[in-house]
Amino acid sequence: MKGFKYYKPQSLKEASELLKEYNGEAHILNGGTDLIIRMKENFLHPKAVVDIKHIPGLHAITFDKEDGLRIGACLSLGTIAHHRDVVENFPIIADSAEVVGSGQIRNRATLVGNICNASPLADTATPLLALDAEVIIYSPNGTKLISIHHFFKGVRKNCLNVGEIVTGIKIPYSKNLKGAFKKGSRRQDVDLSTVCTSVVKINDEIRIALGAVAPTPIRGKMAEAFAKGKNLTHETITEIAKIAVAEASPIDDVRSSKEYRLHMVEVLVTRSLEELKV
Amino acid sequence: MKHEIYFTLNHEKILHEVKANKTLLQMLREDFDLTGAKEGCGQGECGACTVLLNGKPINSCLVLAVEVDGKEITTIEGLSEGINLDELQKSFITNGALQCGYCTPGMIMTAKGFLNANPTPTLEEIKVAISGNLCRCTGYKRIIEAIIEVAEENQSKD
Amino acid sequence: MKYVGKSVTRVDGIKKVTGDLKYVDDLKMPGMLYAAVKRSPYPHAKIININIEEAIKLPGVKVVTTGKDFPKRVGLYLADKTFMAVDKVRYRGEAVAAVAAETKEIAEEAISLIKVDYEELPIVSNVLDAIKEDAPLIHPNLGEYKHAPIFHTLPGTNISEHFKLRKGDVELAFEQADFILESEFYVPHIQHCPIENHSAIAQFDREGRLTVWASCQSPYAVRAALADAFKIPSHKLRVISPSVGGGFGAKAGTTLEGIIIPLAMKTKGRPVKLTYSREDEFNNSYVRQAMYATFKTGVMKDGKIVALKSNFIWDGGAYTEYGVNIAKSAGFAAAGPYDVENIHCDSYAVYTNNPVGGPYRGFGMSEIHFGIEQNMDIISEKLKIDPIEIRKLNAHKPGGRTATNALVDDACGLIDCINKVINDIEYHKPSQQPKEDYKVRAKGFACGMKAPSMPNNAASSAIIRINEDGSAYLSVSAQDIGQGSDTALTQIAAEILTIPPENISINTGDTAHNPYEWQTVASRITYSAGNAIIKACEDIKEQLFHLASIKLGIFPRDLQLEEGFVRSSIYPNKRIPIKDLALGLSMEDGSAVHGPLIGRGTFIPENIRNFDMDTGLADNPVVFWTYGCYGVEIEIDTQTGNIKVLKVASCFDVGKAINPDLVKAQCEGAIVQGIGSAIFEEIIMQNGRFMNPSFMDYKIPTANDIPEMLVSYVENRQKDGPFGARGMAEPAMIPAAPAIASAFYNATGIRVKELPLTPERVVKALKNHKILNKK
Repeated sequence: MKGFKYYKPQSLKEASELLKEYNGEAHILNGGTDLIIRMKENFLHPKAVVDIKHIPGLHAITFDKEDGLRIGACLSLGTIAHHRDVVENFPIIADSAEVVGSGQIRNRATLVGNICNASPLADTATPLLALDAEVIIYSPNGTKLISIHHFFKGVRKNCLNVGEIVTGIKIPYSKNLKGAFKKGSRRQDVDLSTVCTSVVKINDEIRIALGAVAPTPIRGKMAEAFAKGKNLTHETITEIAKIAVAEASPIDDVRSSKEYRLHMVEVLVTRSLEELKV
Repeated sequence: MKHEIYFTLNHEKILHEVKANKTLLQMLREDFDLTGAKEGCGQGECGACTVLLNGKPINSCLVLAVEVDGKEITTIEGLSEGINLDELQKSFITNGALQCGYCTPGMIMTAKGFLNANPTPTLEEIKVAISGNLCRCTGYKRIIEAIIEVAEENQSKD
Repeated sequence: MKYVGKSVTRVDGIKKVTGDLKYVDDLKMPGMLYAAVKRSPYPHAKIININIEEAIKLPGVKVVTTGKDFPKRVGLYLADKTFMAVDKVRYRGEAVAAVAAETKEIAEEAISLIKVDYEELPIVSNVLDAIKEDAPLIHPNLGEYKHAPIFHTLPGTNISEHFKLRKGDVELAFEQADFILESEFYVPHIQHCPIENHSAIAQFDREGRLTVWASCQSPYAVRAALADAFKIPSHKLRVISPSVGGGFGAKAGTTLEGIIIPLAMKTKGRPVKLTYSREDEFNNSYVRQAMYATFKTGVMKDGKIVALKSNFIWDGGAYTEYGVNIAKSAGFAAAGPYDVENIHCDSYAVYTNNPVGGPYRGFGMSEIHFGIEQNMDIISEKLKIDPIEIRKLNAHKPGGRTATNALVDDACGLIDCINKVINDIEYHKPSQQPKEDYKVRAKGFACGMKAPSMPNNAASSAIIRINEDGSAYLSVSAQDIGQGSDTALTQIAAEILTIPPENISINTGDTAHNPYEWQTVASRITYSAGNAIIKACEDIKEQLFHLASIKLGIFPRDLQLEEGFVRSSIYPNKRIPIKDLALGLSMEDGSAVHGPLIGRGTFIPENIRNFDMDTGLADNPVVFWTYGCYGVEIEIDTQTGNIKVLKVASCFDVGKAINPDLVKAQCEGAIVQGIGSAIFEEIIMQNGRFMNPSFMDYKIPTANDIPEMLVSYVENRQKDGPFGARGMAEPAMIPAAPAIASAFYNATGIRVKELPLTPERVVKALKNHKILNKK
């Protein structure tokens, strides 16, 4: 790992100023499970690393029905996956957090980090997309909320400007939320998703989010539109899944062929809908 | 530039200077000669470098040494006192839960952290808990049995 | 027996659970330098020029070396490799230059400053292309390479070994056969994946003594290879292997040691260390060779196989110093554990521009049995004979003949193993199907066999010293690489000396202090080192009886050892503790005789003879065959393609289990490693590039992938084995992949010809076939 300056700011303002000072050549350090690998393997060599874990206020989960669920930036996936508010009200988020890496990874890695990396196959991105989550961003001009739908800009690209810091995620609460997170992988545990999906049903509305099938995690809008108001019969489900497949544009890589990924979209969406219809 | 860090290492308070680009694993092995934690992959896939950070198992190859300022680190060397081995260590020996021994320190530390949080787990929970620790020799069966034995002792203590 | 046959607790437990045990990379030495290696970005290219000027100028850099410093070709069976490329690179990642520097970081920076000019050559990335007549030659000078006389190289081609087995008259037998079946199979490259990556340290002193600390299975073989390559007398070359974090064959030969020695020769006594990263380990240690197999089988109506014609084409990669012997081993085991009168087999080791092939648990047997066993299923289906019955009909049995026409001796317990496994897995009882209609379960079965494939003179030795308190040192050079040899060998000594295992310390891993051992490979250590230890114990016993007979006035023939005493077998109260004789016998007048007790034992297998070079036939070519089988039950998710292995029953004929728990532990590890090779593991090669050299993309089984394991063994005594024991740890993995493939067929009706059964491959196979509905 090449050398860099390490900062441990005590406030968002301080952190943000550091990031601006380095003008894109500083990297935020949160759980570090992705950043440190990328630095060790020479994909990244930032001049400075800004550790945000000592900034107060980034370690909380809050929940009420009006405001929804707020997950602080520095909470580990392991904590999130087992947090009562998450497990009881947003099990789909807990399920997705529970399958990222190993237990050791989940004790360090964070949900916000998983999102900020903007990997197309981020497991936790799909439930957030399906739940219309908002990303809470500190910017020098004040805090702003950006829809998760506008957050991802490409493979490993997010919408943050220099000096901006994601402080948390806000997820609206729905009383009648039912959801299913599914992951296809070569090995059952500690593996990257070949494809992952989150399908949620809120009253009569179906939402479908897909990971590892496009440069960013995506929503299957056409499939959702088709599903709207329909009874989830076996035939309808088959059709919805087929439309979702048509919305995916995966690549071939060492983990899977494009064909298998498309096949998996169909399988996972179908299975999710079969689960949700009951 | 070096950073001064103040942390607890195997129950002992330590003041230490470390470069920012050193991992916790490197610091333990190079600066403290604590070589029980090993590097098997450097990517958080094999778990051979597992130590406890504030009681929780983590991959020390993916943590910067500077990050442990103010924290508590326990390595395999801190698990026993002299020949008074920890229950898990004893159980690994009596159950034959080791072969080449290279994954063993990481495996035990993961099991330790896991049992701290969940003293009476199910078999399935144990399997998932150690799935981040690769062992190429044993086929895991005896490792699982060793952990079950300690869990059962925990159960009987309840 | 008091210690043999008992599940004595491992003798190396405490140091392994405490982290006390030092592996090579854990060692730090005063003045130690760190090495880094410049590697070829091309799979096949001429080296035009290597410019090291900038690298050598970098502060902190001590030495830079290139292949030209030591251009001598070396190799275990075929001297085809240099430790660093000379003039030409033959695989992507081959070492072309090395640096020793004050820190690893400086060494790595220096590497980036070395400039190499290459001229790319056409690459041979597929073994079937490599054997074509117009294929580019990877080793044009093959004819000049030295090799053991038992191998048959074909200069002017890419074939470095052609083993021919010609038994009976296959063509005539095919004419007479009722059925003729043909099939073909492919097994990809995989890797051992010990959790410890290779590591070595070399130090060269001013007297010309070289010390090498290496994570290696076979210190003496490493010494031999290095002494030859670097022209260092054996007595000045000390190889120390303090501990080995898993081997499985990966650490059987020499790899990175040869890179650091030239550096260490120029550092004025400062030690030089090189430790592989996981990526290096994948690219630059050995891989298990890929292999194409074809079978043509002639069968009679009653299921008796009368003729077999097979081809094994091994992708040996850039160098086949070890691979030639794997090809040979496959050839002489051509029919697997079946008695076939007419066999015609050609097995070829072939050069390609792929990673270097080497020994991996099973040594060719896992690969050939994938085809052999599925071929048995194909025959069984064609003839509508139960797959177990057809195996039993054709199986090796005492009095039968092996492929090389050697007599199958009384110790072959294959039928016993089959009966045990069929019962344990309830083979003939259909699987209970899961409630999800997209999941299907089925059972499968496969047999396997293996012999140690080694030079006929592969020897072992042991030295035992009795201490004045009656405890003992046992010195051998068998390496405990996790398999538990330290424990089992200690038990053997304890049994004969009647000294409890806890009073015996075993010393290994140092050629300067412990006696010769050929190699810790081939599942031969319990057998070979065990025999040497028995002889060393007998030597001690003879000395003890001699002294005791003087002291007690009893003939040596009437003495025996019991609980640490030499005692009369006639007058039980006439006895003397071993400790009183440890330093010799002191007489009543104060005079003494004999001196300290040192026992010496050496062993070499007797009467093992070469194969006939033209026919491959031999009446006694190997020390033993180990037989066994697997029954498995799997569940397939027919939509995602994921396979879960639910249950494995295995049984092997181990001769005698010196330590039952250790035997079972080897079987369990083998099952899980075998599952990896069946459903996960594959090196993905694209034009000479290893596409998945990390645990992120090369998946091995985790704790959550293991099946229920019903492990058993039978004990048909090995007549020349210590207490009847024979090797079993490698054989224990062999039937895994074919048994799982057999279950897959029984579940889906699809015969898989290619491993591994990854979700994607399963889905593709199911899509291309009409699936049998289980209901």
